[in-house]
Amino acid sequence: MTGRVSRIAWILFGTGTVLFMLLPMVLLVLFSFGGNELASFPLRGLTFDWYTALFAKSDFRVALENSTYLSVAVGATSVPVGMLAAFAFAGLKRRRAGPAIAAMAAPLMMPPLVLALALFSAYSALDISLGLSTVLPGQVVFIQPFVILVIYARMADFDRTLLDSARDLGASPFRAFVTVTLPIISPTVIGAALIAMALSLDEFIITYYTIGGGLTLPTLVWGLLRRSLDPSVNALATLILIGTVGATILAIRATRYRG
Amino acid sequence: MPQRPFVLVLFALPATLIFLLFFVGPFAYFAVMSFWSVSAYRLTPGFDLENYIDVFTEYAYPLGFTFAIALAIATVTTTLAFAFAYLARFRAGRWGPILLFVTLITMFGGYLVKIYAWRTILGSTGILNAGLLGLGLIDEPLPWLLYNPGAVVVTLVHFLLPFAVLPIYGSLRGIGDAQLAAARDLGAGPSRSLVDIVLPQCELGIVVAFMLTFFIAAGDYITPRLVGGPSTAMIGNFVESQFITALNAPQSSALAVAILAVCAGTIFVLRTGMRKALAVR
Repeated sequence: MTGRVSRIAWILFGTGTVLFMLLPMVLLVLFSFGGNELASFPLRGLTFDWYTALFAKSDFRVALENSTYLSVAVGATSVPVGMLAAFAFAGLKRRRAGPAIAAMAAPLMMPPLVLALALFSAYSALDISLGLSTVLPGQVVFIQPFVILVIYARMADFDRTLLDSARDLGASPFRAFVTVTLPIISPTVIGAALIAMALSLDEFIITYYTIGGGLTLPTLVWGLLRRSLDPSVNALATLILIGTVGATILAIRATRYRG
Repeated sequence: MPQRPFVLVLFALPATLIFLLFFVGPFAYFAVMSFWSVSAYRLTPGFDLENYIDVFTEYAYPLGFTFAIALAIATVTTTLAFAFAYLARFRAGRWGPILLFVTLITMFGGYLVKIYAWRTILGSTGILNAGLLGLGLIDEPLPWLLYNPGAVVVTLVHFLLPFAVLPIYGSLRGIGDAQLAAARDLGAGPSRSLVDIVLPQCELGIVVAFMLTFFIAAGDYITPRLVGGPSTAMIGNFVESQFITALNAPQSSALAVAILAVCAGTIFVLRTGMRKALAVR
């Protein structure tokens, strides 16, 4: 009897929590196609008007361009840099690697606002003018810990005897890396790259303070939110969701992540 | 994998340089600034404790409020996350991976987007009010659903839940089924094995989850601004307004250091408390 009650309780709890996690996003997507000016039910027909309105904004095109540039640049910087660091940490004893990785992850422990204001202060003290090139390192410094963690986790249970065999058979360290290590870890590296790009695409606070008036997709959302009701926010939010969720799904598939 | 120390250093160098140049440097500069002062809109270096005195006098209330609401958010999120991770690992069977997948895809999906979604749900023309009106439970929209501390808690719990589920699930995965089977064979009920086997082994996951959620909640300033309304100003809002509006970067910095100190203190107390509470008797 109690077994059945607890089973039902777990099912209710699980369903409720999943709905809590997903429903706000589902509603947003729904309203981006709805004919209503306000995000309210009942939906008055399907429309692409908000998307047309969004694409017609010149701000949107600038923001899309900047966001695309940044996410590609952040991926292209943080992945090689993070991968090298992960290799270095994998070469350390586990006891030493732990604190080293925790130290590199310090930017994640910081409220993004503090990191953003610190970068802004440093840039202005050094008279560096703000733009995409100042956003890039600010994003990389808090995204590279994710890359390091993901790749280090893979390296930690990497079968080293494979590498030793390659070396015994006469492969140079570089050749062993290219023919043995890289093929084994490449799905993880691709996963890490996608996560880095999703994080960059979504990053708002550091970007906002270090871009100096430029636009990215999240800073455009911020601008639209403050300018009261504009239903094209729903369309823009949906596009950001498609970008980040899509990248995450691909990353999960690539890394076969299981928790 | 590199073994020689020289190669190790070389490999770690680029990431370390980025870390030093764009994190340690700016942060140290910003933190030192908390002892400076501002006169005639210019930063004046010095050693002044004025800003910290203000933190504990003028900002005592928002500091206390931030601590209380962050504690509430972190406690609710970590508890929900533990139950959800426990369900996914031990109770859900073949549904477990699906629960984990839902957690992962909601993790990176839009910080601003999520806050905005809750604003449209809780607003006076929002779905919740429309639903209650439609059901005839209320006669006119309830304006107080939005712009109160509760709205901040709901929004941040929603945003933070995936970040709390993953570390806890990660540590639950390390608990073998054999241990639980052994406990059951020896006569332990589900609650007994939860307390004596599961909880002690996922202490680290719980602490990491709590820490992440507490830190993010305590440092947030956008959620209180967009869904919290004027009565829920958190320390982050003052960090921002002192920096941007009042052009008083030193005061902003002292407030930021205060948040970090509160976070560090909370985690220290939590870790010590958890170790004692979860010690196997």
